[in-house]
Amino acid sequence: MGPRASSAGERSDSLVESHKGYDPRIILFYFLLAALLAVLAGGLAYRQLANVGKYADAERQQNQRRVLFPGPRGNIYDRNGQLLVGNNHRFAVLLHLDELKTELIAEQSRIRRNFVAAVDKKDVPGSSQLRQIARVTLVQRYLDQVNQILGRDEKVNAAELGRHFDRQLLLPYTLVDDLSGGDFARLIESLPVRSPLEVYASNIRQYPFNGAAAHTLGYVRPDSEVEADGFPGEDLTTFKMKGTSGRDGLEKMFDAQLQGEAGGRIYRVDPTGFKINPPLESRSPKQGKHLVTSLDIDLQLVAEQAIGDQIGAAIAIDVPTGEVLVLASMPNYNLNDWYPRMLPETYRKIQERGAEFNYAVNGRFPPGSTYKILTSIAGLRAGVLKPDESIIYCDSVLRRFNGRFVCYNGREHHQEILLPEAIAQSCDIYYYEAGWRTTPERLAAESRRFHLDVPTGIEVPERGKSIIPDPEWKLRERGEKWFPGDTANMSIGQGFVWVSPLQMACFTASVARNEVYTQPTLLHDPDRPRQRHEAIGLTPDQRKALLDGMEGCVTHGTAKTINAIAELRIPGVNILGKTGTAQIPGKRNVAWFIAFAPRENPQIAMAVALEGDTPGEEYGGGRNAAPIAAAVMKRFFEKRANPGRTIIAPVRSE
Amino acid sequence: MPFKRFDQNRPFLTLALVALAWLLIPTAVKSWGRASFFELTAPVTLAVSRVRDLQDFWALRLRSKTELIEAGRDLARLNSSYELAVQQNLELQAEIARLEGVLRLPSYTEYRYEHARVARRDFSGWWQRIVIRKGRNFGIPVGAPVVFTGGVVGRVTEVHATTSIVELITSQTVKVAGVVEGDTRPLSFQGGVNPTFAPPTGIVEFVPLDIIVGPNSPKRLVTSGFGGVFPPGLTLGTIVRVEPGSDGLFKSGTVRLDERLGSLTEVTVLVPVGQP
Repeated sequence: MGPRASSAGERSDSLVESHKGYDPRIILFYFLLAALLAVLAGGLAYRQLANVGKYADAERQQNQRRVLFPGPRGNIYDRNGQLLVGNNHRFAVLLHLDELKTELIAEQSRIRRNFVAAVDKKDVPGSSQLRQIARVTLVQRYLDQVNQILGRDEKVNAAELGRHFDRQLLLPYTLVDDLSGGDFARLIESLPVRSPLEVYASNIRQYPFNGAAAHTLGYVRPDSEVEADGFPGEDLTTFKMKGTSGRDGLEKMFDAQLQGEAGGRIYRVDPTGFKINPPLESRSPKQGKHLVTSLDIDLQLVAEQAIGDQIGAAIAIDVPTGEVLVLASMPNYNLNDWYPRMLPETYRKIQERGAEFNYAVNGRFPPGSTYKILTSIAGLRAGVLKPDESIIYCDSVLRRFNGRFVCYNGREHHQEILLPEAIAQSCDIYYYEAGWRTTPERLAAESRRFHLDVPTGIEVPERGKSIIPDPEWKLRERGEKWFPGDTANMSIGQGFVWVSPLQMACFTASVARNEVYTQPTLLHDPDRPRQRHEAIGLTPDQRKALLDGMEGCVTHGTAKTINAIAELRIPGVNILGKTGTAQIPGKRNVAWFIAFAPRENPQIAMAVALEGDTPGEEYGGGRNAAPIAAAVMKRFFEKRANPGRTIIAPVRSE
Repeated sequence: MPFKRFDQNRPFLTLALVALAWLLIPTAVKSWGRASFFELTAPVTLAVSRVRDLQDFWALRLRSKTELIEAGRDLARLNSSYELAVQQNLELQAEIARLEGVLRLPSYTEYRYEHARVARRDFSGWWQRIVIRKGRNFGIPVGAPVVFTGGVVGRVTEVHATTSIVELITSQTVKVAGVVEGDTRPLSFQGGVNPTFAPPTGIVEFVPLDIIVGPNSPKRLVTSGFGGVFPPGLTLGTIVRVEPGSDGLFKSGTVRLDERLGSLTEVTVLVPVGQP
């Protein structure tokens, strides 16, 4: 072999790859590969271990939906257990849209095929249009099933259905509402059990006594803000079935207690939003707490019927406890008109009649001569009035301070008159003099002592502002000086004094207990203790004179009507009262009557205020207001005499 | 080797082909096939039923004359009581007709009664039904109510030439609008989950809250007549337990059904008059 051959053989050898041990150059790649694998493993570990919670949450939020449905509201009862507000059912047919996925796909394909066969391909609607057509067609087909059973001709509202599909797919869609019992029965027997159609009973508020105590009980309106405390999945997309919330009266003030505990379900859903059964979480709704009011529906009905077509209010209070037995405001309206929805025409009529206004709590009127009880107390406490001392001669007209002051109740001259008779006969001239002697500051202070200047704190919305004037108030509010005429007006409950019927009822209950304050309440507690507040501070003689006057008012005074009419007389019970007729210049008169009974150990106190029909009309407390109080009191004492439970038949809606 | 492998897989291939064919066959053909299959097997069912009747007949032939005389006497008594009931019913029907005339009320739906023997009973967790020995040949329509001496049996769900299938009220697929005896408010009755040998029960929903049911005061549940399928007053069962529902509006509870539903031999189909 020559050198040439040798070199060729070496070259030939070099063409054959051979690996001997470790090649130092490749070690570098080992490290590089290991590093890359480590990065991958680290990334994987980071995502799968460190971020597991985050991704699990994201997956959960993407794949799970929460549905909340409200619990039924609690009932409201009167003090004797009579149902005042309850829940009633309303049958409806629901369609579970989320069970229609397969049918929708098939329907969409069928419609598309029909279009392709019937029109040019370019005229075939887009997929979103096809989807909407399929939805309406399919839902109308189910609705036609119902129509055929019920003999109706209902049509699907396409826009509403589209919104429901897009926003509330997991909630059933209401096809037909407000079914009768017969419709319910027909559907139960005719609908296939395994149909996506469901006969459902929704919950509406029911008022067995229609408009009785309407302003006190209040009403509810639909509310989508259903909350399910303690139910998991707050971070999930949530669908809420509509609940209700109180908008007036006790329904509003005790909304939190009456609200039921919402139930809920959490479903897993597929990518198109259709649910996958069974639910992952489920909780049944619970009914809200019941409310037992202090109202006595029997007395309430008596008061409302006695007021009848007149405008005004009647309040009765249980004297020892302050529990309100009657809180009547007329005109009222049928609370059932709110359900399922208030018709505009009905609401317009309610507004025209002023029936929404709560005269008992929010009405403000001059108290008229009923205020003379307060003037008497203020004068007696100030020492300017004495039970056995006449302070002025009533000649029906008094000329004083360059003015002429008329005794409006003095068609007969009262002449020399003592306090009891001044109350019984409601002598204005006596009280003009009493007011001047007492001074407006003392009258105002006494009024404030009886809490006539502040809201009563009763458990229904209390609007409006009472006025207890004094010289400082007049200067501040009107920029005018106080005149003796203002004092005269104030002493007989006219002029600037404005209070609510409820405040006067509380005042009467306070006088009955010989105290200065009564906290009214609409909640009944059979073990509620007697209220105890600051005593009025009259001597026994002074109190006797005051009560004699109030008794005289009923026996022979301005409220003798109720003693004269046999139907209003209560055997064995002395009613103590005071009438009032407030004249509002340019407006209608307000007839007042405040009363309590019996004289010893008083049990019931009342205030009645009625607005006259026409301005300037003769509308008197004794003639118009007193009989209403007497009717309620009579029923009250009849029930006391026969304590067996009286069940009042609810009013049937026509 | 490939042939051997194919032989091994032939059953699976056949199954796949059959499944594919089933998927591709139009629904109408499937329905026709199913109905044809039922009509083809119906004579077997009827024959078995008649053989069973013959068996019962010969079993009765073995009874002593004394037993037969006693049975005849009991039957005579039963007949006389039924005759009395029939007369009373006639009087009541006349009174109803008179009142309908006076008050101008629409008449109740009238029914023709078709008595039928039970050919077969199928009780399982999936369905609770019976096959009766009358079908289109006696003008029985789908949906007709079926009753027996104890009350409601169920509804006709399928009608064939000489047989019909009746879904029992023990089945979950049957719903009836009922009322508590003496009440007028309709509620919903549905068959419950009834295992084969367990006493039959149903569930009742939409029970008004003032309906009180206790262990000592069960309430009889009858058909309401409002649903348009069942005439009023037929016994569905006895409500033995109710509890308030979560909606606060109604109660729901359990209905005990007649145990004889599991051993029916004779039923009556109520065919609305005017229907074929």
